[in-house]
Amino acid sequence: MIQVKNLSFTYPGSTQPVLQALNFEISEGEIFGFLGPSGAGKSTTQKILYKILHNFSGEVFIQDKPLDQWGKAYFERIGVGFELPNHYLKLSGKENLELFSSFYKKERLLKIPDLFEMVGLQDSMNKKVEAYSKGMKMRLNFIRAIMNNPDILFFDEPTAGLDPVNGHKIKEHIVDLKNQGKTIFITTHDMATADEICDRVSFIVDGRLRVTETPSTLKHQHGENKVSVESKDGKSAEFSLENLGKNLQFLEFIQENQLLRINTMEATLEQVFIQVTGKTLKV
Amino acid sequence: MADFKLIFRDPSLRVFLLLPALIFVVINVFLPYLIDKYEAVNEYVPYVLIVATIENTQMFGFIYSMVLIEEKETEVARVYGVLPVSKIWFVLFRLMIPFLITVSLTWAILLLQPFYDLSVFLTLLFSILSGLIVPVYCLGISTLSANKMSGMVWIKIFNILVVLPVIAFFVPDSFSHLFGMLPTHWAFQGLNNVIEGEAFFFNAFIAFIYFLILTTFTVRKFASVHFT
Repeated sequence: MIQVKNLSFTYPGSTQPVLQALNFEISEGEIFGFLGPSGAGKSTTQKILYKILHNFSGEVFIQDKPLDQWGKAYFERIGVGFELPNHYLKLSGKENLELFSSFYKKERLLKIPDLFEMVGLQDSMNKKVEAYSKGMKMRLNFIRAIMNNPDILFFDEPTAGLDPVNGHKIKEHIVDLKNQGKTIFITTHDMATADEICDRVSFIVDGRLRVTETPSTLKHQHGENKVSVESKDGKSAEFSLENLGKNLQFLEFIQENQLLRINTMEATLEQVFIQVTGKTLKV
Repeated sequence: MADFKLIFRDPSLRVFLLLPALIFVVINVFLPYLIDKYEAVNEYVPYVLIVATIENTQMFGFIYSMVLIEEKETEVARVYGVLPVSKIWFVLFRLMIPFLITVSLTWAILLLQPFYDLSVFLTLLFSILSGLIVPVYCLGISTLSANKMSGMVWIKIFNILVVLPVIAFFVPDSFSHLFGMLPTHWAFQGLNNVIEGEAFFFNAFIAFIYFLILTTFTVRKFASVHFT
């Protein structure tokens, strides 16, 4: 669906490139995550893909057609969820959506009351947005991005500013969109979100891609092939997973102690990120 | 339509909608009263009318500058950047209504003033010329301003720039040409010629071309920065 070849970009007036020879592909119906610290080039890449930034070098294809050959029709097919809430505060949530939906062809538009209900804002849709909390505004961002039933969705930090319950709901909606066949490109520095919903992730640091893989493969590749065992009285030990059932020390440990927990020592996505890039994801 | 909802729901913008009514009262009530009291004022009536036509453009100039700056500050402008619409046509279409309202109100002020019997066509022509200030004014200010504070500074600068050429009527001819750098100078001179019954075409033509170039430049510049 999306192919990016040797994509580089330098902001006008700067000599330092923000993106350096990026290569990646996103398949139809895939959730693809771009992970990296602030300033790594995540949002810049998205801005190029939704045609806000031009004058890049390299090639970008959307459905095998060069990006610069796509005209207005491209915007009928994409949806963008911005990182920060951006709405007319003096208009109600519904008026905001009605305004922006008026620019799209009517055939594909989703019903506005259904969208508000989907994110639990049905009771607030006639309230002015200035009375919304940040979480409510972010949910409004989300439904605005999907109101034209787009084929490709770009979300920049889709769960930022949301409480755990609403964050979870948004993640469920994103997975639901993927199940409907939508292609979804997410940027985030929230590793847990990426791990939960992304089919594949790319690590981007200082404008360069370091690795692109599925989260489970990355965690497996960079984790230890061991289990850690902890007893209720505070004893702990680590055992190799290889022939674990025949490991006498392990068997003795679990027979002689009352166990508190047994965990595989798979790396977290954040640990993998640090190992691969040498950087942390703290903002 | 949404723009008018935004304007009517913001008291600081809504109050500016009264400006044409205030100008109308000054021209039709206050100025005749002053002339009645002090005959010398009569000599300055053309200049008051000229300034009145320009001040009338400040209503939507100010209001739309603020609407566009707020759009930039709240990043709503970025949403327009990803909509299936031509950015340049969107800007032109959006400013068409304030332009037409400004032209209509200026035309009404010029037609209904009690001092001169001015032609319907010529007053319309100069109303259109002064109305062209609106897009240049609000697009220029919102492009140059990062936020409302800097917007207020630019508004003051633009206010001075649009009215400044009125000084040309009070200085020797050799100096008055200096004001030709400002587009409103040509509109002012043209309208003054119409009032005085003199040839106006050259001034009107220069003003029109000047505004056309400025409008093209500001629309393009605005469209290239506002939606990113």
